Amino acid sequence: MSQSGPQVADAPATGTPSRTSGPTPPDPTTPGTLARVRGLIGGGGPAVALVVLIAFFSIATPNFFSVSNASSLLSQLSILLVISIGLTFVILLGSLDLSVEGVMASSSLVFVLLASNDRNDLSLGFIALIAGVLTGSLFGLLNGVLHVYLRVPSFMVTLGTGAIGVGLATVLFGGRAPRLMDDGLRGLGFGNFGIFPKLALIAILVLVVALLVQKFTRVGRYGYAIGGDEPVVRLSGVNVERYKVLSFVLAGTGSGIAGVMAAMQLGVGDVSIGAGFQFTAITAVVLGGTALVGGIGGVGKTLVGAAIITVLANGLILLGVNPYVQISVQGLVIVVAVVATGWSLRKRVRAIK
Amino acid sequence: MAAKFGSESILVQRRPDYLTGEMRSPAPAGHNEVKEHWVPMNAHGSFPRWTKRAAGIATIMAVAIGLSACSSAADDNKPAAGGEKGDVLLVQGIRSLSNSYHANWAAGGDLFGESVDKKVIVLSDEADSQKQLSLVKGLAAKGQVYALNIDPNTSSDTEAIVRAVTEAGGYVVTQWNKPDDLNPWDIGDHWVAHIAFDGTGIGKDVSQTLFDSMGGEGGIIALQGILDNKPAKQRFAGLQEALKANPGITLLDDQTANWSRTEALSVTQTLLAKHGDKVKGVWAANDEMALGALEALKAAGMAGKVPIIGFDAVPQALDEIKSGTNKYVATVSTDPWWQGGAALSLAYKAATGEIDVSKLSHDQRAFYAEQSIVTKDNVEKFTQAPTLEALKPDLDDPFKRFSAPIN
Repeated sequence: MSQSGPQVADAPATGTPSRTSGPTPPDPTTPGTLARVRGLIGGGGPAVALVVLIAFFSIATPNFFSVSNASSLLSQLSILLVISIGLTFVILLGSLDLSVEGVMASSSLVFVLLASNDRNDLSLGFIALIAGVLTGSLFGLLNGVLHVYLRVPSFMVTLGTGAIGVGLATVLFGGRAPRLMDDGLRGLGFGNFGIFPKLALIAILVLVVALLVQKFTRVGRYGYAIGGDEPVVRLSGVNVERYKVLSFVLAGTGSGIAGVMAAMQLGVGDVSIGAGFQFTAITAVVLGGTALVGGIGGVGKTLVGAAIITVLANGLILLGVNPYVQISVQGLVIVVAVVATGWSLRKRVRAIK
Repeated sequence: MAAKFGSESILVQRRPDYLTGEMRSPAPAGHNEVKEHWVPMNAHGSFPRWTKRAAGIATIMAVAIGLSACSSAADDNKPAAGGEKGDVLLVQGIRSLSNSYHANWAAGGDLFGESVDKKVIVLSDEADSQKQLSLVKGLAAKGQVYALNIDPNTSSDTEAIVRAVTEAGGYVVTQWNKPDDLNPWDIGDHWVAHIAFDGTGIGKDVSQTLFDSMGGEGGIIALQGILDNKPAKQRFAGLQEALKANPGITLLDDQTANWSRTEALSVTQTLLAKHGDKVKGVWAANDEMALGALEALKAAGMAGKVPIIGFDAVPQALDEIKSGTNKYVATVSTDPWWQGGAALSLAYKAATGEIDVSKLSHDQRAFYAEQSIVTKDNVEKFTQAPTLEALKPDLDDPFKRFSAPIN
């Protein structure tokens, strides 16, 4: 980084054409902390919207800015965040994963039925947990392979595999939700660590790993390029197929982790455990600033999107908004936020078809 | 309620019963329905090119089969109505034996079969409306008068089913789902009756059970089903009636959790943050949401202090009521054994001529049946099948649990 300083400009005689031609007074390559955070979570629209919402609810309701509500906000954010993080990798490609609910159903049931439960005599402990998460990864792999190698549009494939997930879960479910009886495993995701919900700790761990993957691995870096202009990336010799499949595996793993988290939280494996998360998660990703056309966005931005949705749902209840109009208000705020977010991008990003 | 999925996910929503707000039987097998709506899209979308051709051929075949099915149904292999007592076929139409609700329903039918010394045929449609209709049409091929007791998948399936039965000269009793403006007497005597369950009256009674366990005082929070859903409205209306009768109870908040356990957990968390210790009771419009709320109470260290009620009598709720440790005080059961036994008995009596359908009143042909409140005192009755002796009075008089006319 430091070679862009003035002393480098003094040595053009080395023969290389100077890349730092012209004066660069505000050095763009050494950003401040604030700028770094902005780069991560995306400045402008979504972050401002989140701050405005938090400020509004803190003033308008006495309970919003309280320890107990902060704790419930965090736990409500956790599962949505983990799903949305996974989805971000796929949406960055310009693809979509609609199998979230089916994958969560399957992974929650695989997890509970392999751990100590009230249905069978198995008690595999951590292996059950890993199996639950891997169930998600396998679904992701299936999604990726079908989409990439059979050239089926991703939303079609994932709609189908999602149905397979629900079907598989229904068979495992057998008419009655099996209960998770392993208190150790349950304790990993249930209750608080101090005032901090344990689910939130898992979500933070996932977030950190995802940020590292996005920044330092090929699948993370190429994801942007593929989403931006796939033919160009292909021409430059990158194995596009491999990285696309890997992105789907990441998304499936996210849903798998989310299924296991939900099972820990509720204490059961259930076919409908992911109910309602699919659309909310896509909304969170897009709201955060990841474009559905691909190439723009990131995991950090998704954090903001998921937080907005969680704060909104929580705040409207605290505010006592009539449940009959709540869903409309949520929709309205989301539309406004998306328009505000996209305002500066409206020339660069063509409307989503 | 089977309805559990969130309502907001329009993109992936495939549950017409929520969107139209229909009555659903409380079977967890509602999950199965998902398959039905997904698979066709999948088949069209998954494999382009050759699939298109295959789909074209399949469509032609389907139309051909459909036409032949129609013509065969219209054929004159119609057995004479009111057949001999000896050769009436007993048939149950349920969703799946893999969920306890419909399994109990089938067991109730078997009890009736035992009482008249006949085997009962069980048609399980696995939540596939097309399959359900074709199974019913297939009964005509047996060339025998049959008595059918069926839980139509959705309201829109009901008319096709009862018309198919009428064509074939069978007798049918439907439960839960029918279009509001279609009644058995509009079709004829072969659609004997329609039985459903009204959430208002029982909703009031079970709310009273909750209030009594609170000592008649304090605040409650209510978790509603999908707001435009008929049973959700009826149950909430029941709560409001009970509130009028109990001035000591205040409704702190009512929110929808869309029949979903997961949503109920997070909504309850938020409501607990809002109202804290003022929450002295939790009312939920189904057991799934009540169980989700229970987990939120556990996380807040309030489980066992705050009484909870739900509806539908799902197995886990019955377990909670039995153990009593978490103060799950009551739920509501439609008594699936009765639904399977008594309604089949009604269809059978019509088929044998013991009951003259044309002489039944309109009230008797479309009625709400009684439901029971399940508490710790009587929970055993709802976790195991009744004896034939216990169910006998209801089998002999299928109208014994008549509660109110639907219209």
